[in-house]
Amino acid sequence: MPTEPPHGADMPAENVPSTEVEEPDELAVRLCHALVCAAVDPALSGVLLFDLEPQLLDPVARLFARILTGEPRSPGPPVMLSAASRDEDLWTRPVLQRGDDGLLFRMEPGPLIETDGRSGPPSLVVVPDLTRLSVAGMRAAVQLLGADVTVVEYGGLSHRARPRARWLAACRSADAGRPTGHLLDRFALRLPASGLRLPTADHLLGMLPPTWLDIARDAQDALVPTAAVSDEALDRVHELLGPESNMRRELSLARLARALATLDGEGTATSEHCAAAARLMGLAVAEGAGRAEPTGDASGSASRSPHPSNRPSEGMGARRQPGQDIPGAAETGQPLLETEPAEGVGAGRGGVQTVLATPYPEDEAEALRDFAPLRSPWQRTAGSASLLGVVIGTRRATDLSDIAHVRTVREAAVHQRIRRTKRFTVSPVDLHSHVRASSPEHMLVLLLDHTCRGGDWDWQDTLTPFLEWAYTRRGAVHIIEVGSAETGNELRAESFAARSVLDPRILPALYRPVGRASPLADGVEQAVQALRRSFRQHGNSLTEAWLVVVTDGRGNVPLRASRTGRLRSPVGTEGVEDTLKAAAGVSAMDRTRLRVAVIDAGREPYGSLPFSLAEALGGAVLEGPSTRVRTRGGGGAGER
Amino acid sequence: MSRAAEGVHILPYSRVVGQDDLKLALELNYVSPPIGGVLMAGARGTAKSTLVRAFALMVHEELPVTLPINATDDRVVGGWELDALMRGEPRPQPGLLEEAAEKGLLYIDEVNLLDDHLVNIILDVVSTGVLSVQREGLATAKQLSFGLVGTMNPEEGGLRPQLLDRFGLMVAASQLDTDARHRTIRTVLDFEEELTRKESVWLEQAARDDSARRDQLERARDRVPGTPIPEDVVRLCARAAERVAAVGQRGEIVATLAARALAALEGADEVVPGHLLRVLPMAFRHRRPETAHGGTFEWGPEDESRVEDLFEPA
Repeated sequence: MPTEPPHGADMPAENVPSTEVEEPDELAVRLCHALVCAAVDPALSGVLLFDLEPQLLDPVARLFARILTGEPRSPGPPVMLSAASRDEDLWTRPVLQRGDDGLLFRMEPGPLIETDGRSGPPSLVVVPDLTRLSVAGMRAAVQLLGADVTVVEYGGLSHRARPRARWLAACRSADAGRPTGHLLDRFALRLPASGLRLPTADHLLGMLPPTWLDIARDAQDALVPTAAVSDEALDRVHELLGPESNMRRELSLARLARALATLDGEGTATSEHCAAAARLMGLAVAEGAGRAEPTGDASGSASRSPHPSNRPSEGMGARRQPGQDIPGAAETGQPLLETEPAEGVGAGRGGVQTVLATPYPEDEAEALRDFAPLRSPWQRTAGSASLLGVVIGTRRATDLSDIAHVRTVREAAVHQRIRRTKRFTVSPVDLHSHVRASSPEHMLVLLLDHTCRGGDWDWQDTLTPFLEWAYTRRGAVHIIEVGSAETGNELRAESFAARSVLDPRILPALYRPVGRASPLADGVEQAVQALRRSFRQHGNSLTEAWLVVVTDGRGNVPLRASRTGRLRSPVGTEGVEDTLKAAAGVSAMDRTRLRVAVIDAGREPYGSLPFSLAEALGGAVLEGPSTRVRTRGGGGAGER
Repeated sequence: MSRAAEGVHILPYSRVVGQDDLKLALELNYVSPPIGGVLMAGARGTAKSTLVRAFALMVHEELPVTLPINATDDRVVGGWELDALMRGEPRPQPGLLEEAAEKGLLYIDEVNLLDDHLVNIILDVVSTGVLSVQREGLATAKQLSFGLVGTMNPEEGGLRPQLLDRFGLMVAASQLDTDARHRTIRTVLDFEEELTRKESVWLEQAARDDSARRDQLERARDRVPGTPIPEDVVRLCARAAERVAAVGQRGEIVATLAARALAALEGADEVVPGHLLRVLPMAFRHRRPETAHGGTFEWGPEDESRVEDLFEPA
């Protein structure tokens, strides 16, 4: 297990003193090579590490910065993105400078784009937890990572350039299903980093062939000649990633193979380099296929054989220098998994494999994806101001927080002549602050189980009080449907968020035809996630939320079936049990602001199921037709 | 204002592999600007953004006027140049909408992620044709007209029906087969490799191909006013709109304009039903009732069966 990183000036990037680690961990070597490749090719600018020990993020970031700058000490700290990152902090930077005639003020490109269009090392952006990144941060990542051009039109700043920043992000593989694939896909380089033991940066970088760091630094200032990629190599990439892979992944793997070939001074990237690139990311490579000999191609590289497979550089694309003795070479050159091409592989020697180790864990993740994570939260009511809301205007400032610099300067400019001062002067009356979109104060989450609606029961009557509540409070509405015959996948719940009950999608949702399956567990889990996200996103401004579940409790689709899309019979009571387990997530929430009601469809047999669900949710039961209320667990009764 | 950006290299339009529908929609919109724009929907990594930028570079030799999703309203509607203000010079800074009106096109990447207050501004301008700014000491009202080109990934949410309707055509990016994927990756890697060379025959040939395509589009643009639309084609369009229960009348108008642009592009003497049939999905897929309210954008066999008998020879 890794130990605490030292903070001494001599050991800037290690978590284990060099005396204790005589030979670098194979995973650490792979990581180091991946970072060099990310430095060489701007299209590989996003590096995502899964299951990295949190205390290792800083040393890894410092290692990356050192590769980018070539300096033992980075000229500045990396740009840290978190749940609190806001657009105005990322895209613009107000600068105050002392000039000959007083203070000068100007807006400059912010930390994410400040090195664009310039020479020298690019910015390094670090995301400690991708799943907790703010909406502004996620949107920035989508806009910048791997993009040909980024356009910024923010607060008087107009900026167009090819993004140069390199990104280093961490994420638990168990959470990999939560961020949108749109975001994850932007990270070209993935590495399962569980169990990483990081030696000193000097030790790691000293193992690299001397030319690697030179090439990495040259690439910061100009396009460096790259190796060609043979057709055979592209076929190998396709074979390595499988037919289901998307094009971005194939392109990324091909680029990584090309970067390795370029670093090695090869003219052409072959299937060997592709295999090496795959191993570098932690993908399994079938040994037989990995040894495919390069074919002749237009660049005439057939005579140049890639590294023999039993050499340490084979797995990494590293070239051994004459006389260079690499400790642990025998281990680093070993294929990570020799005969099972369909599986991900672990962290190798020294690694503690506790989770699925694949560079694409989101493909197998069972966590529920966030709903519309890249959209700014919908606002409906004039709730309390939040410093995280989207800027929608300016107003005269009452304090010095959240100052709108452009508006303030413009206001000051108007009065300069009247003031007759020698230099540009900003006075307190000029100060303006941002007006931000407010957060919703009320929210209704409605879970509709269509399979429980039978006979002449019109559940709209029962739901009317809740819908009226949402309407009069201008509440946001989140509808989750299960058991509809119109669904695209009957094993999964479907949901949508609406700004208010007046959304035209809501009425049709109340009257869908009844389907065959009832993935109630999936529906409850989606409700839990919608509520959790709202409480997290809106903070204290969300003052009251209702979760209303209309069901007979007879969920007949287990959670696993909903997640995988495959139903294995017999189901038994698994669907019901999963529903109750998922409901436990609600009971753990802030009950001073969340209220829960289960509307019992009153169907027999198994009439007690709604009561069990209400108990798990920590709510009350309402009888569908009569709206008589019973306390949790069905013990008492009374009019609501 | 030039939208050149240093160090930005976009794959040439003529080298983008596949996505024929996307290309056709952009070309029709260019040949006949009253179509009013194109919305491109598709999964991530289907070259939507690349295609839009490459097309703008081909026909305008500069990047499109782009509205980023997090733009502030001062950059959208216009404001003051900050540096000039500091020097005591009140110099207005045109907004993106004004720039778009100059070029005839506003590109919005990830349009479904655009914040509501920006959507409201854009809807106001495209529906009234007037940009009225009464803020921060500015008091202007300008007549503006531009087409919207947007790209979106439907997995990240839909569009408000009002904004959806403002896009003349809508196309869905297709998933490529293995061979096309191979060619795409091959092309991208070749392009990146060629960029590192001092002289590149590959890039020169691509530029020549782009130039030839631009000339074809310009000729088609000139031909559009002289390409008649027979009355029976107009009636056919109205019946097709009725069959698919299109919301509003904009779909029929756009379909007719697009059919005429296609006829001009193909050098036909007049618009024939085949032209209309080809553009029908583009004009109506986002104006069906189920789509307008957040449903799927797919135009499947069921949709085709609704109109196919209209286009069968008598």
